[in-house]
Amino acid sequence: MTPGLAAVGGRGVVTPGVVAPGSPVRARVLEATYVCVARHGLAKATVEDVAREASLSRATVYRHFPGGRDELLREAIAWETTRFFVRLADAVSGTSDFTGLVEEALLFARRAIDDHVVLQKVLRTEPDRLLPTLTVESLKILVHIRAFLIPHLEAEPRLRPGVDVAEAAEYVARMFLSWIGAPGRWDLGDRDQVRRLVRTELLAGLLEPGAPG
Amino acid sequence: MSAVPLLERSRAADPDAPTQRVIDATLRCVARWGLAKTTVDDVAREAGIARATLYRLFPGGRDALLEAVLAAEAGRLCARLDATFRAAGSLEDLLVGAVVDVATTLTGHPALRFLVAHEPEAVLPHLAFERMDAVLGSVAGFAGPYLVPWLPPGDDGSSPEEGGARAAEWVARVALSYLVAPSTGVDLCDPASARRLVRAFILPGLTPGAFLPDQPTDHSRGGTPTHA
Repeated sequence: MTPGLAAVGGRGVVTPGVVAPGSPVRARVLEATYVCVARHGLAKATVEDVAREASLSRATVYRHFPGGRDELLREAIAWETTRFFVRLADAVSGTSDFTGLVEEALLFARRAIDDHVVLQKVLRTEPDRLLPTLTVESLKILVHIRAFLIPHLEAEPRLRPGVDVAEAAEYVARMFLSWIGAPGRWDLGDRDQVRRLVRTELLAGLLEPGAPG
Repeated sequence: MSAVPLLERSRAADPDAPTQRVIDATLRCVARWGLAKTTVDDVAREAGIARATLYRLFPGGRDALLEAVLAAEAGRLCARLDATFRAAGSLEDLLVGAVVDVATTLTGHPALRFLVAHEPEAVLPHLAFERMDAVLGSVAGFAGPYLVPWLPPGDDGSSPEEGGARAAEWVARVALSYLVAPSTGVDLCDPASARRLVRAFILPGLTPGAFLPDQPTDHSRGGTPTHA
């Protein structure tokens, strides 16, 4: 069950409604774009290929994506980025406390990135085409991660007094994105290291170290 | 990995030296037209020197020139950070000073500002995945040793050097994140705002025994940190 592979087919992972692509036709075009990128790369994916893959006319594709190829690629990257985070939210839904939530999220996200066949292929072959858009789209997700974290933080009994929950959620969201993109000195495949990272750099300022008193 | 030795060349350059004049001219050109449209001829004209002279100074041509510009600018930032690190009287002041140095240097850099606004494809790929790891590695290598004397001993058996490198990498992540995607509540160019951020989220992780134990239950109280 590697999320990356599941995403290549694009079906059954999340229902299109969850990622709100706008309309069924739009979703079909984005999915076709994604398949074409997986097959040929970003530079060689054309509107014609996408239309053929989606069994639609070029005119229909252009009606939904007037910006043509550039818009298609940008929207497909945004779409897959959103799906990635929807899968992630799903994967961590069973955790009981904030520390566990962030630990599981880091472990899952890093593994999902490593296993994401299309992402890894494009990162290897066309990083300069992918990364500007991917970075911008990931940063748009920042507000959603922050919103997702706020109720979890509010429910956390060990929250330090005086912590601004919105600010803290933003900090965690930013650091989370930073770590899953570039783990640096940390091995996010190693549960002990993730435990340490979460319990020092990520949450030491947010949670009380021990029981009160 | 050209980024790694870059940060070690932190000596301040002589502004009248011919190489520095060419570097400054390149920065002016990039601030005006961007990277893609800046040619060696543009730079030579801007610096008031012959094209042949420029090639004598930078035998590798445009690529070598751009690499030298990056090295010079990184060196300038490092020199500034070095002064801040040496002057700091506390870990808090050191971190706040470093964050503000980085923030004001990057946001006030005319060439970088132009690129971020008009040629993000020249900048953003360096802030993700492997290339970001390389950037973080350079920062950890340069700034880590300055942090070592201020940090508590590692509680996981790691060396002081590793602790310094980790802390430097962490602070660099924080600074870059808030700079690349500006926040409504945090402005790292403002020392008061940077201090708030450092106090709230960074310093608690750099104090002795910072490791958070598991959630204490009614039966076991979290007096002693549980180590991974």
